[in-house]
Amino acid sequence: MQTRQQGSVLFAGVLVLIATLVIIQLWLLTAALEALLAHTYEILVPAALASLVLFVMNALLLGYVVSFDRKVRLADSSRSG
Amino acid sequence: MSDDAKPLERWREDFPVRWDADHYLTRRELAKFLTLGSALLTGATGALALASRMAARTEWPATRVPAAASLLPGTSVLFRYPTDADPCILIKTGGGELKAYSQVCTHLSCAVRYEAGADTIECPCHRGFFAVNDGRPVAGPPTRALPRVRLETRGDGVYATGMEV
Repeated sequence: MQTRQQGSVLFAGVLVLIATLVIIQLWLLTAALEALLAHTYEILVPAALASLVLFVMNALLLGYVVSFDRKVRLADSSRSG
Repeated sequence: MSDDAKPLERWREDFPVRWDADHYLTRRELAKFLTLGSALLTGATGALALASRMAARTEWPATRVPAAASLLPGTSVLFRYPTDADPCILIKTGGGELKAYSQVCTHLSCAVRYEAGADTIECPCHRGFFAVNDGRPVAGPPTRALPRVRLETRGDGVYATGMEV
């Protein structure tokens, strides 16, 4: 049975993971900007693709957590109702 | 009995902001905000990749460099290439060789100058130094080499024919 406490721990963990991925994306952006200024264009498209992959991971994590939270709320309301 | 009918509790004087009227950031809102930030970063990185497609130039104009023929060894002259907005510096080394580079420092875009005594290109803003032979940084904060201007000697003078970035 999924409890509210389990959801809370899961949410905190996923928030940390999302924040970490966003920091990696920030680093990718600065590296891409440096490469553009240095006229070394080879890494720009791979950097953009990597950033896109990280964004998709973030979106999936958010979707998972929101659906988990919704299930916990439904379970709570059915128990109390 | 409604809240309005009760006398104000003492603790309400110490905590006047009602909890239900306050707006606090929930974890779900924070997660959504971070994911939105992630989307913006992805967009910005993609925009840089697109900008590289537009910045890559395949055709360079051939522009005559005035006063190049009369340059003395150990001196330099300024010119504009490929457009009037791009300052460049042409150097005649002590050995009589002609070298040309963009005059824009790769650190923070100050105008570099040729120091004949030290036979080096110096950026006076933050004391960055570049080698005259190939424009690579040799000291100071710059980390990228100066873009080199390709030169061609023709019958009527010296021409700038492209840039190596």
